[in-house]
Amino acid sequence: MNTRPLMRLHFTTAASQEIGPTPHGTLSVFPITGGSFEGERLRGIVLGGADWVTAAADGTRELDLRVTLETDDGALIHMTFTGVRDDANDYFRTLPRFETAAPKYAFLNRLLAVGIGEGHREGPIHTIEEIL
Amino acid sequence: MNTQLLMTLRVTVAAPLNIGAVPHGTRRTVPLTGGSFEGPRLRGTVLPSGSADWVLLRADGVLELDLRATLRTDDGGLISMRSFGLRHGPPEVIEALARGEAVDPAAYYFRTTPRFETAHPAYAFLNHVITVATGDRRADGPIYTVHELL
Repeated sequence: MNTRPLMRLHFTTAASQEIGPTPHGTLSVFPITGGSFEGERLRGIVLGGADWVTAAADGTRELDLRVTLETDDGALIHMTFTGVRDDANDYFRTLPRFETAAPKYAFLNRLLAVGIGEGHREGPIHTIEEIL
Repeated sequence: MNTQLLMTLRVTVAAPLNIGAVPHGTRRTVPLTGGSFEGPRLRGTVLPSGSADWVLLRADGVLELDLRATLRTDDGGLISMRSFGLRHGPPEVIEALARGEAVDPAAYYFRTTPRFETAHPAYAFLNHVITVATGDRRADGPIYTVHELL
């Protein structure tokens, strides 16, 4: 599997909203208040969004994130990912997808990507690579 | 990015059902008639009932794939697979694929991201694994090489 670095993305988060036990698991909503991203082909800031996190009984968490990114030249990018976070096994992987109307960044509409997440006290950091 | 081979999945397809122009593009449904998969930790067959690829050709020429299939392992486990993907390439390559010609899979982009659900204890690891696949579109159906992200 060949990949190419796309960006390193840092989120800041607010206190989670604990929805609690639902039919699919224990749901927590993590508001994303900001952050930044940087790669060879794009860089900018995170305008906001949230990650809907459902924890299974075994502690594994399913991630479902939506955020808006703004590049340093003013383009808006809609980003989503699903993913899995299992801290017991040090596994934090995501499948980011992007949508944009900006011609300069239209390549994002045509790629699939994978992310490796790291948990930090200030908020998670995702290293995202394009699947070639 | 470290990965390991999960399986090679071959599916066979029936004639597509052409839904036609819909608000997001041109939609068709491609029923799966069967198939097989084999990897170091699992092998078995693809059940035709309920397995299909719901395909949307977008205005920008990118084909969005939404494959859902039920797999049955050789020891009787049922695995539900859902896979979002993208396929696109130079027009002449896409036209050759449409004519059913053999095309080098390196000539176009055909990648998918399978997720799995199962209740079978032997395959429970699949519930929590992120995978990516490279596709090779053959006339009788695609071959997917599925890698687990480590």
